[in-house]
Amino acid sequence: MNASGLDLTIEGLTVVYGGVTALDDVKINVPSGGFVTVLGANGAGKTTLVRSITGLLYLHKGRVRRGSIELGGESILGKKSPDIVSAGVAQVPEGRKLFPNLTVKENLLCGAASRSDISGIDDSLEQNLDLFPQLRPLLSQTAGLLSGGEQQMVAVGRALMSQPSLLICDELSLGLAPKIVHRLFELLTEINETRGTSILVIEQNASLALQHAADAYVLELGRVLMEGSAAELRGNPMVQELYLGGGGEAHTSYAAIERPSGGKRWGRKRTGGDS
Amino acid sequence: MLLAFGNFTADPSVNLQLLIGGLALGAIYAVVALGFVLVYKSTDVLNLAHGEFLMLGAYFALTFLISENLNFFLGVFVLLLVMLVFGLLVHYGIMRRMVGQGFFAIVLITLGIATIIRALLLIFYGPTERGRLDLLPQGSFEIGGATVRHVDIIIFAVVAGCVLLFFLFFKYTRLGLHMRAVADDIEAAAAMGIDPDKVYAMTWAAAMVMAGIGGLLFGHVTGAIDRSIEAIGLRAFPAAVVGGLTSLGGSIVGGLVVGVIEQFANGHLGTKWREPVAFSVMFVVLLVRPTGLWGRKDLERV
Repeated sequence: MNASGLDLTIEGLTVVYGGVTALDDVKINVPSGGFVTVLGANGAGKTTLVRSITGLLYLHKGRVRRGSIELGGESILGKKSPDIVSAGVAQVPEGRKLFPNLTVKENLLCGAASRSDISGIDDSLEQNLDLFPQLRPLLSQTAGLLSGGEQQMVAVGRALMSQPSLLICDELSLGLAPKIVHRLFELLTEINETRGTSILVIEQNASLALQHAADAYVLELGRVLMEGSAAELRGNPMVQELYLGGGGEAHTSYAAIERPSGGKRWGRKRTGGDS
Repeated sequence: MLLAFGNFTADPSVNLQLLIGGLALGAIYAVVALGFVLVYKSTDVLNLAHGEFLMLGAYFALTFLISENLNFFLGVFVLLLVMLVFGLLVHYGIMRRMVGQGFFAIVLITLGIATIIRALLLIFYGPTERGRLDLLPQGSFEIGGATVRHVDIIIFAVVAGCVLLFFLFFKYTRLGLHMRAVADDIEAAAAMGIDPDKVYAMTWAAAMVMAGIGGLLFGHVTGAIDRSIEAIGLRAFPAAVVGGLTSLGGSIVGGLVVGVIEQFANGHLGTKWREPVAFSVMFVVLLVRPTGLWGRKDLERV
């Protein structure tokens, strides 16, 4: 019953907050039904990327200076966030951002805010509870009192309530036990494969993200530093050094590492639209 | 003002009288406090123009129910409709542009709105005071030696009805849920596809409608309708704070408590003690519980 994925194409995206450039000429593609991860350290511009796609920049006084964002061939740049959710983009925000004073059920129902098919909302709620059976006994609990892992499940479930064609997860792994993060990534893969929902995962936890995604981008200081298939990036020594904690010198500074000229090692690789 | 009891006495009928008067006054405070709290909770704006909103309601009641002499229910309907439109105007004309600005900048904007409303009422209605409204039944009856006016009973019932409607609205409607979500976390709400702009507009509209009801009720018990009745906003402020600025239920209890305390201070100590006592109660509550009796800090487990 979920709409199948829509192709997300971002080109030449440049975003500024006041005079500060947060994203510079960023080009990212999430193919229909694809599973893509964007890796990067703090301050790389990952969350700005999410805000740009989901129409929330205005809340942080940011604006798009150049570039385009298209979903299924239609521009979503400059649209209001409710319209973007209606167009099929849902997100699990960084830090979960549940409504702390609302119950779990109410949180989930808020995820369906963009839907007009009232009768279908109950079905989606059931579907979510099948996906996260742990939440069933917690439905009338105040969300702010749940454990971190439970909260993240609610956050993912809430995003799924809008029946998205593209699901964006911002720092899903932040502050959670590895076991829970593993389980969540397995669920994302399952949703991706069974429902055809495109997934865009923004992560600091590179190793896990690269295991599950098909394609990956590395963002640094607002620019796309590398892109390629997840397998390629996993094998890349620089990625291993910086993001996979490889080598004996895990704390090597960025500056100490030799950069490929032009900031990109690979040309754009076309990857299959299905996975 | 409601009931002038200057004599100090332990006569139970006098105390009963004070209690009844206090509850009626408190019900009006509750309506005003509810308007404060609704806006504060949902939009994070401390609206110092709420007393003026209520005054606007009272003057519009004069226009539609007395001057135009509409049928009572039609008149009330038109009154509330006009108030609703004014609420939308406040949002789309002014407050919308202030979203994301500093707290105090916005508070000052509400003071500006208050000034504009006072000026407009002076321009369109003139400086002459008008008599109180007399559209609700004017009779009274005796109970245990105390006089109970029908108006007081009606005020109490209307306020209780409004509170019940509000509660049901927030608990069981989609818009109510979305309003609570925006109050909790505006960015998360926007990210879920809830339009904060629409929610804010509905909040201002609802606050104005509440003020319309409040103005209609208060117009029946005030000495006269003039441009000093906006002071009800300031006088109801302790009620909102005592209840906790974020609790709708608390604002009701706060209103009743402050109303009763004021009437007893009025009756036993004299009129001049009414407001000092009310504000003292507010200070004591704030010292003991800074979030008010029922206000809450945001629950958040990190």
